[in-house]
Amino acid sequence: MYRYILRRSLSGILLILAVSLATFFLMFAGGDPATRMAGESGSMADVIRIRQAYGFDRPIIVQYLSWLGGFVTGDLGRSLYFDMPVSAILVERMLTTMRLGAWAILLAIAIGVPLGVAAGCRPNTKVDRFALLFAVVGQAMPTFWFALLLVIAFSVTYPILPSSGLDSWKHYIMPMVVLSYFAAPAIMRLTRSGMISVLDTDYIRTARAMGIVPHKILLKYALRNALIPVVSLAAAQFGYMLAGSVVVESVFAIHGAGRLAWESILRSDLPVIQALVLCFSLFYIVLTFLADVVNAWLDPRMRIA
Amino acid sequence: MNATDMLLDVRGLRIDIPTPKGMLHAVRGIDFSLKRGETLCLVGESGCGKSLTAMALMGLLPRKALRRADMLSFQGTDMLSLPERAFNRLRGDRMAMIFQEPMTSLNPALTIEQQLIDVHRQHRNVSVKEARERALFLFEKIGVSAPTERLKQYPHELSGGLRQRMMIAMALMCGPQLLLADEPTTALDVTIQAELLRVLRNLQEEFGMGLILITHDLGVVSRMADRVAIMYAGEIVEQGDVHQVFNRPSHPYTRGLLECLPIPGRHKHMTHLPSIPGVVPSLIGDFVGCAFRERCQYAEERCAAPEIDWRQLPDGQGYQCIHPVDSFGAMHSAAMHEVSR
Repeated sequence: MYRYILRRSLSGILLILAVSLATFFLMFAGGDPATRMAGESGSMADVIRIRQAYGFDRPIIVQYLSWLGGFVTGDLGRSLYFDMPVSAILVERMLTTMRLGAWAILLAIAIGVPLGVAAGCRPNTKVDRFALLFAVVGQAMPTFWFALLLVIAFSVTYPILPSSGLDSWKHYIMPMVVLSYFAAPAIMRLTRSGMISVLDTDYIRTARAMGIVPHKILLKYALRNALIPVVSLAAAQFGYMLAGSVVVESVFAIHGAGRLAWESILRSDLPVIQALVLCFSLFYIVLTFLADVVNAWLDPRMRIA
Repeated sequence: MNATDMLLDVRGLRIDIPTPKGMLHAVRGIDFSLKRGETLCLVGESGCGKSLTAMALMGLLPRKALRRADMLSFQGTDMLSLPERAFNRLRGDRMAMIFQEPMTSLNPALTIEQQLIDVHRQHRNVSVKEARERALFLFEKIGVSAPTERLKQYPHELSGGLRQRMMIAMALMCGPQLLLADEPTTALDVTIQAELLRVLRNLQEEFGMGLILITHDLGVVSRMADRVAIMYAGEIVEQGDVHQVFNRPSHPYTRGLLECLPIPGRHKHMTHLPSIPGVVPSLIGDFVGCAFRERCQYAEERCAAPEIDWRQLPDGQGYQCIHPVDSFGAMHSAAMHEVSR
């Protein structure tokens, strides 16, 4: 198990390096960055000055290493728009989004897994039909629309919840519900299909033949095996919630990383975009690593790889 | 037979499975019984209903399958009217079952120890330590090398033979009076097969278990059985003491099965083994008459009559056929000798 974790983290680090390289070249994706920063009215002298000020005149490998070194030590460069360190803007925004995403994914798991188990144990019953309806509605409804419906219902018609910002726990409820209703259907479906196939296996038949009580068969013998794909899915969805929460953050006027990314793209604030892309990727890599570790704990057969 | 010796008594067991094409009559009214410490082999080809019969005894039939019987009595308990929870208390305790697929029958996510201890603690009020000791005791009986290490291992770390030994250990954790074994050695190679059968036999004698062994391998039958029941198309067509049935097969199907057995010397001049021509009839919808008549060289008009009577011989052998084959005994005593224990 420990050897597996070690090997898995080494490959994670290699992946981070590869991603950082790709992210670094984002800076040059739109042509010469110095020319772009100088703007249409900038003279050749301006371009040269910018090139020297930002170090674009150095060899590319030196630029990459110094950028990477800066990233490791927490120096993410300066925002072109705000004229302040990227890290100062980023940390606060990332934490906001992560906090919201974490609560949302927990809620999605808390709803999706039990519902999936209930549906998977008794396919084609009323419980199952209800679960599938719940999933279809969740997957078909646009996030922004559901968010607006909630705002109309709970902030306008019955003003019990605040409609914008993240100042108290009450502010978290609606964005959290919207984000989790986006993630829960897939978790529910995967848990359901996992339970259906696991309950049909020979080892569940064995457990039944040995007189193990039904709830223990369900929770200890079946669920553990059925959850293996769900763990990977939940991790990927958590990652997606960070990058894809732009819509929810816009509706609820939350100053999170998703919104920052969107705004920075509009402003061509490249250092911020770079830092965000790298942070999101890092987060994804850490999440998949954690998911693999959880899976290795659930399924001993994975520990060899 | 003394009533207290009786472990299991099955009368008129029927299993029907609804299918889109109609009702599949998978098991069509079978009778058999088992005494304490006795081995009954249920023999037949794939789809004859022998595995379903075992699943019905364990109460593990698929949800849509319908089980009916005139009597299903286990140690005097009427299993037909037994509530599911009470039935579940018997499973793994007084009756247990091992399956054909050792590779997939153990839970891949749990160690051997967790699975064995769970079974014991499900039925007995024992500590983890006591359960572990019981497992190690059984490992010794079953012939498991490095027993304490095995407990900590996961199923995927064990060979097929070892996994089947673990299944046997799991089934015996609570010392059942009845053990059902559904083709326990079919998926294993021949040397391990022989070894496992020996283990099963020893355990059965030591613990005085009744054993129902399901197989299609007549070599296994001759090595293990006290009595044998030959199944064909959902019916028992012949049953009796294994020596009687093997020496004097009365039903043409039994005779055909025995002829298909490869015996060195017997088929010296043949290029291929004999086989029974034809296929098993479909059991969907109502079926009357002898199910074997389409494949039987002795078949005549009377064989299509709705009810073929069961003929009981005084020595306990019985068969369901109107023109039993008699002239076969001499030839088959030789075969019996070859495959006997």
